[in-house]
Amino acid sequence: MKKKILAVLLGGCMVAGLLAGCGGGDDAATTGDDAAATEEGGESSGGGDYHFEVVVKSFQSTYWQAAIQGIDAAVEELGVTVNTTGPNAESDIADQVNMLNNAISAAPDGIALAANDQSAVLDSLQDALDAEIPVVCFDTGVPDAPEGSVIATIATDNESAGAVAAENMYPVIKDAIANADGQVRIGEVNQDATSANISGRGMGFINKMKELIEADGKTVAVIGNQFYVDQVENNGDEGSADVIIEVAVPAQTTVELSATEASNIMNKEDTIAIFGSNQVTAEGVLTANQNLSVLAATPDEGIVGVGFDAGATLKAAVADGTLIGAVTQAPVDQGNLAIHALYDYCEGNEVSDIATDSYWYDAENMEEADIAPNLYD
Amino acid sequence: MANKSNTAGTNRSFIDRMGGQKFIVLILVIVMFIFFCAMSPGFRKYTTVVSILDYSYYIALMAIGVTFPLLTAGVDLSIGTGLICYSLIGGLLVRQHGWPVAAGMLVTVLLGIAFGIINGCLVALMDLPPFLATLCTCMITRGFGAMVVGGYGIPWPAAAQEGGWFRSIFKIQMGGQNIPIGFLWIILLVIVMSFVLNHTKMGRYTRAIGSNKEATRLSGVNVKFYHIMAYVICGLFAGLAAIAYSAIFATVQPGSGAGFELDAIGGAIVGGVSMSGAVGSITGTLVGVFVICLLKTGLPFIGLTANWQQIITGLVLIAAVLFDILKRKREAGK
Amino acid sequence: MGEVILTMKGIDKSFPGVHALDHVDLEVRKGEVHALMGENGAGKSTLMKVLTGIYKKDSGTITYEGKEVEFHNTREAQDAGVVIVHQELNMLGHLTVAQNIFIGREFKKGIRIDDKKMNEEARKLFDRMHIDIDPTETMSHLTVGKQQMCEIAKAISHEAKVIIFDEPSAALTEAEIEELFKIIRDLRDQGLGIVYISHRMDEIKVITDRVTVMRDGAYVGTLITKDCTKDDIINMMVGRVIYEDPKTKNMTPPGAPVVLKVEHLNAGKMVQDVSFELHKGEVLGFSGLMGAGRTETMRALFGADPIDSGDIYINGEKVNIKSPQDAVKHGIGYLSEDRKRFGIVVQKTVAENTTMADLDEFSNGPFINKKKENEIAQKFVDSLATKTPGVDQLVVNLSGGNQQKVVIAKWLTRNCDILIFDEPTRGIDVGAKNEIYKLMNQLAAEGKAIIMVSSEMTEILRMSDRIVVMCEGKKTGELDISEATQENIMNMATREIS
Repeated sequence: MKKKILAVLLGGCMVAGLLAGCGGGDDAATTGDDAAATEEGGESSGGGDYHFEVVVKSFQSTYWQAAIQGIDAAVEELGVTVNTTGPNAESDIADQVNMLNNAISAAPDGIALAANDQSAVLDSLQDALDAEIPVVCFDTGVPDAPEGSVIATIATDNESAGAVAAENMYPVIKDAIANADGQVRIGEVNQDATSANISGRGMGFINKMKELIEADGKTVAVIGNQFYVDQVENNGDEGSADVIIEVAVPAQTTVELSATEASNIMNKEDTIAIFGSNQVTAEGVLTANQNLSVLAATPDEGIVGVGFDAGATLKAAVADGTLIGAVTQAPVDQGNLAIHALYDYCEGNEVSDIATDSYWYDAENMEEADIAPNLYD
Repeated sequence: MANKSNTAGTNRSFIDRMGGQKFIVLILVIVMFIFFCAMSPGFRKYTTVVSILDYSYYIALMAIGVTFPLLTAGVDLSIGTGLICYSLIGGLLVRQHGWPVAAGMLVTVLLGIAFGIINGCLVALMDLPPFLATLCTCMITRGFGAMVVGGYGIPWPAAAQEGGWFRSIFKIQMGGQNIPIGFLWIILLVIVMSFVLNHTKMGRYTRAIGSNKEATRLSGVNVKFYHIMAYVICGLFAGLAAIAYSAIFATVQPGSGAGFELDAIGGAIVGGVSMSGAVGSITGTLVGVFVICLLKTGLPFIGLTANWQQIITGLVLIAAVLFDILKRKREAGK
Repeated sequence: MGEVILTMKGIDKSFPGVHALDHVDLEVRKGEVHALMGENGAGKSTLMKVLTGIYKKDSGTITYEGKEVEFHNTREAQDAGVVIVHQELNMLGHLTVAQNIFIGREFKKGIRIDDKKMNEEARKLFDRMHIDIDPTETMSHLTVGKQQMCEIAKAISHEAKVIIFDEPSAALTEAEIEELFKIIRDLRDQGLGIVYISHRMDEIKVITDRVTVMRDGAYVGTLITKDCTKDDIINMMVGRVIYEDPKTKNMTPPGAPVVLKVEHLNAGKMVQDVSFELHKGEVLGFSGLMGAGRTETMRALFGADPIDSGDIYINGEKVNIKSPQDAVKHGIGYLSEDRKRFGIVVQKTVAENTTMADLDEFSNGPFINKKKENEIAQKFVDSLATKTPGVDQLVVNLSGGNQQKVVIAKWLTRNCDILIFDEPTRGIDVGAKNEIYKLMNQLAAEGKAIIMVSSEMTEILRMSDRIVVMCEGKKTGELDISEATQENIMNMATREIS
């Protein structure tokens, strides 16, 4: 009997805990309701009571928290309501498709989607089209979406984001490459090689760097992860090239595995620079540096480090000069623009694709007004 | 039960093999180290050794803890996500609420103990299968931690910042070099927990429960209490591992941590802890952890890509588990 | 023999539906070895469980050392000096001998367990028993006999005044039994009261001073061992009126062909050189006491346990049975004594259980033909008169007797011609028993050959055409029903084997 009571109590507590958990989650996710209630009709809109569903890639990341900030801002500006959902991890593809389908069933006035997998969402997009629900893709486009289902795509041009990193890194290491006695090495630590976003970013960096170096009359060989190496056109010979670009991809996107890959490259005598192409890999570079202490402002003093995205750790490293800088996307803008695009479409206005900018930031410009909002903690 | 099936009589060589496995694994660690050194110049550096140790602390602490549930023929799958959860909440208190770092660390450890108690009660009092019970708390801790911090990553104070002193628990700077003193703490804890396992009632009964729970109960032992305690110890060490993780890595990301437990459990098994309970030692576990850590660190250095790393780690685990099964079959005398 | 140390008087205990102990008396004196005897289910173990506090008695008194006592658990009994050495060893195989003996009451120095002192104390115990066991040895490395000695050492270390041995010799070799007896005599001479439960008639004569016999939960009487004969004891054990009429003659049609012939079957320790024949349309009873090796013989025959040597012929043809699959292929169906573990899947429906052994027959490719499955299940529900609301009922909701019918249906579906019923009516109420009996007779009349393993004498005598009796893994006799009596079966079942 005692046992039973205990069991029920604990079960009750657990269920209560779970409910509280879900409730909490909803509070965090339903960003629109209160805001809309306090909003007074909205000056620019006749029909301000639109309801949009937003499906993000993941809730467990500060990057997406920043995007949600942008969405919240748009909610306030436009007086619409929004319900935001997203899976636990960016790898939970099936969960996200499920959430998207639920969003479609809710028959909103529009859906903003950041797809984790570009092909898994195709059927759902067809359903949305059949239900005449407009979809705006943000962060990541869906190139093969059914004609007419996606009214606009708002995404970083990842190739150019990667290129931004290369363009800002190259001037710092240019002399070292020009004056080098032998081969020099530039490292790149990438996340998962199969995600279009990151592979585009990685290739953007590689191609731009290669182009810049070759423009100055040196030869380049790209080695390491086969997925990237295969995409390089006119790849040089590893033995004779002046510059090696070495691409590493950790087994899982965890800090310690990224750090291991980074230390492997940073331990090599001829390494002059390294680029971590997203937040976790960039933190991996910094973690490796805790023991190696090789990151520096110029190739003469050590290895030049460049990061991507933000977060408190990265920001601190850029601020104190451990990294010479990093590239940030505009998650706040993207979230904001996605809602605006849906709103405009519902109001009968023309909408079109927007390639949001990526910004180079370093210790100098971090505080500036167009940069700072995108540097989430 | 093994005790009934053995009618073969005295068999001393089994004891030799027990000591033997630890020994074999230790040799394996040394051989692997030499191999990686020979294959990669980058690996030969002092800083690499420091890195390997850095990344081993939290796995080693988790593994010491999880040895206890394993010895009761159970398991704790919640330690990986639990670690992240405790660290997130402790870090949040320090970062956002201005708590002193020491208080944040205390909360981190207490959370570990609390979830250890929950796991222990689910298993020992309510008879849930350990795999299931801790899989559930694994999911709960993962969601709970992310919920409390609202999805934001938590950076514990950096070494230079106020409160950054706690990072020097594991690593101090001396003469421009990093000294990995965390290893001393690990050794100390291994000695303490070996004592607990071999020379106290707590350890004796942990093993007894794994050997034959009913017989232990019939001997008048408070089986429920000691069964719960095995999970509490595991939770305590998950809490300590959370501190080690926070001290080594800059940011703790919500939603991560799943899979850490497999490194720890894998290490314990490679080190000779039997999944069917009762057999194993803390020192064996530590040696096994270094096999896992060396694989994780060494394979990238010799240029093996991500997929190969996972395949090889899997193969090593299969080999260790097969060893365990063969050992038990031979023990059964048939 | 000294003064009385323990008296149990008028002990009564009922479980739902069973009157397990009916006013049983037992008296144990200091310095005696007192045998407690009776058939399976006579209530010996229940009585000992009441004594050591595992069960609570309904009425009666227990007087121990002159005071009326009631122990609430084994720990209390132990502390008072009443200790039981179980038939099934309760050993922690991974711990050392000394750690086992002192588990739960370790010597300590501060928080540290004092293993050195425990080893010394264990050594003293072994010295007292005049046996040589290393206290630091890991328990699982010892032979079963040595493990038993450790159990006894553990019992003595509790300062026991009364030790109960529950079939201690079951798993021991001759030499080990000798050693055990020496220890028991030593303990007796030191003034302990010993209760000795065993089926082995020869041991009783050798080691015990008095015998108390129980039958069907009731006290029959107490004898001085040296003044009575083996037959006296057997008569007391079986002296029951048989309510059911035994079969009086072999009902097998004369000249019925031999469908199964087993020759010199050996499988492990429990099946030694067993040979028998089974005819079409016959019910062959397998009788014997617990642990006689009957179930093991059937398991070996069915391919569930490996066969060491021996030949099996089915319809005159030699067959090689290596797995239950082979056995089923040769038309042998086995209804396990433990239905829940081996016979049925309780969380599945009647229909699913019925077709389980022959699912290919009811499938189109990978898909199960539900309609056909339900039809056949319904057919057997009708023909076996299984009481179930429908074939889609979960088996867990059926009574024991009806569950048994589902298992029978399973094997009939597979067209098995040889059916082995292992304790077919265990846990089944009286009414359902009769139905199962009727069904078995009906199956035999239809030409199925049936082996029935049973520990119930009445069941054996009522159902069998012929009877094979086993004892300690060997076949000790074979009787036609016309010459079988309780006495001669029991004689064979307790036969001394040289």
